[in-house]
Amino acid sequence: MIQKVLVANRGEIAVRIMRSCREMGISTVAVFSEVDRTAMHVRYANEAYCIGQAPSVESYLNIEKILEVAKKSGSDAIHPGYGFLSENAHFAERCQEEGIAFIGPSPYAIRTMGDKITARRTMIAAGIPVVPGTVDKITSEKEALSVIEEIGLPVMIKASAGGGGKGMRLVKEKSEILSALRAARSEAASAFGDDSVFIEKYIESPHHIEYQILADKQGHTVHLFERECSVQRRHQKVVEETPSPLMTPQKRIEMGLHAVAAAKAVDYFGAGTIEFIMDDNLNYYFLEMNTRLQVEHPITERVVGIDLVKAQIDIANEKPLPFSQEDLFQHGHAIECRIYAEDTDQNFMPNPGVIRHITEPYGTGIRCDGYVYEGYEIPIYYDSMITKLIVWGYNRQDAIDRMKRALYEYKITGVKTSIRFLKRIMDTEDFRSGHYNTHFIGNNKEFLFQKGECFGKCEDIALIATYLEYMSKAGRADNAEKSGSETSDTWRNSGRKYGISPL
Amino acid sequence: MVFHPYKLKKMQLELITEERTAQLRLVHHDGNQITIMVDDVLYTLDVVKVGKGNYSILLDGESYNLELVEGANSREYTINTFHKTFKVEVIDAETRYRRKKGSVNVGSDKTVRSPMPGKVIRILVSKGEQVVKGQTVIIVSAMKMESEFKATVDGVVTGIQVSEGDVVDTQQVLVVIE
Repeated sequence: MIQKVLVANRGEIAVRIMRSCREMGISTVAVFSEVDRTAMHVRYANEAYCIGQAPSVESYLNIEKILEVAKKSGSDAIHPGYGFLSENAHFAERCQEEGIAFIGPSPYAIRTMGDKITARRTMIAAGIPVVPGTVDKITSEKEALSVIEEIGLPVMIKASAGGGGKGMRLVKEKSEILSALRAARSEAASAFGDDSVFIEKYIESPHHIEYQILADKQGHTVHLFERECSVQRRHQKVVEETPSPLMTPQKRIEMGLHAVAAAKAVDYFGAGTIEFIMDDNLNYYFLEMNTRLQVEHPITERVVGIDLVKAQIDIANEKPLPFSQEDLFQHGHAIECRIYAEDTDQNFMPNPGVIRHITEPYGTGIRCDGYVYEGYEIPIYYDSMITKLIVWGYNRQDAIDRMKRALYEYKITGVKTSIRFLKRIMDTEDFRSGHYNTHFIGNNKEFLFQKGECFGKCEDIALIATYLEYMSKAGRADNAEKSGSETSDTWRNSGRKYGISPL
Repeated sequence: MVFHPYKLKKMQLELITEERTAQLRLVHHDGNQITIMVDDVLYTLDVVKVGKGNYSILLDGESYNLELVEGANSREYTINTFHKTFKVEVIDAETRYRRKKGSVNVGSDKTVRSPMPGKVIRILVSKGEQVVKGQTVIIVSAMKMESEFKATVDGVVTGIQVSEGDVVDTQQVLVVIE
């Protein structure tokens, strides 16, 4: 049985994993880079060890150093979180060799699903739908026509040697096929010196829908339903929800069966996610499998009622799943907003810095998975996501209303965050009605990026507050007042000093 | 923390936002009750400072919550309300003097600065090189994302203040173009 877990990660996910460990009576070990000495996961863990310099390759990706700490601290298992080493088959193997349990799938499953072409072949063999198209190069018009005939319009013609949108043509009408093909080939020839192309089905208004999987080492595999993750910026998810507003009960069952089959095809155990792309007509295709815990896992936990980290640890302990598919239901609706330290008005430019003030939302149906606190300096080296806000509601409408309320309460100053932008998303008609796809942010630019509205006299009031603040500061300086003027922060200061978690 | 208006001197201040310049003058105060002129509008409000930089203001029963974050110097503030962020600068005697002398903002167009902390990944120009407006001169990485910073004017690179691999701060001057 696992007694002590080393968490090979940082940020919110490291804290989140340690929370479940604490509930299970498992001792935790943090590893940290030189700039992360003050990070929350270091303060939260029972033990913490520095493993190197700030750049990830010298610390959080340093396999041998992490294993050394695991052995030194007597950890019997390693949880990799997401990102960093979580999908590194070599790391999973090295853990095995050192006799340390890797809380995740087998190196074989990681490797198979990690290579796009191998994964695609494995899925085709298992009868899972994949995006129709050619894998081999096409060099003649005749060949191209017969392929297009087979997969149906619209299609995307892409240069084999391509990149940067060159040699790429979208074909919607039959009459456009030949001219598009010629244009793509000549563009490819001049850009890359190679006129061969391949053809892929073009998914119009794509939806990103994924299935949460849990599988034990005894061969039982279940799915914990879908998550809708179509609100994305720069191919990164921003808002996720479950159930998906697009899904029908019948489709849910059908996709669930395919998701389970996909996991079984690689003898999967642990928690994993099967990602699908779905069109407006509910045709869906396998995209990839993430062989790890996902950022957005809490919405599934909230709606299905299962702690996925505890489930991962139980599976690593060789325990069989204590439930079967028939025992699992979706209850209510959950939404997650990822809060990034970024400037949403400047093309989402990251904005690291010192957190000056933070007020988190409380009340019914709220969960905050974050890791920053007042006075904490967010380092420049790692991801810009600082916290996740997860809400639950009786139904979708209730969840959206609650999310708006929670975003209203969430206040972080010192760095720019995406909080206001997220609130706008909640107000966007396409989101409210549930009719959105991965083009959502692009399609709603005007509404999402409008200048902040100012109700009533708020500008004058802002000026008044500035006036009073400035004058009282000046006054304080004159009186050379004792530092006791900021006594209200004493509790927080001592909290910081003595490691009491303000979370 | 209760705000102590008795410390206030009845004084006029000029405040500048991105959109306007306003004159503010405290008319009267009694406990939390404050009467103040903003240009030609008279406000009577109930103001309490509830935390560091945190104000609760009631105006005709309507509740406003504001957070003030002091900027690079004690005259610059960022004020967050739920819907909008304001940048306000207090114009005191010293600032007015500097403005008169025309020494404010000099050179700001000719320098390339980093709007956020980060690490210099690549410097694409060298000293003495001719650059055109819009040309990328330096790449800074922060939080796994690389941002390109461009020349804001045509000119010649007269100074490169950083080296590749350096960690830079917000608003730090990276490259000077004359």
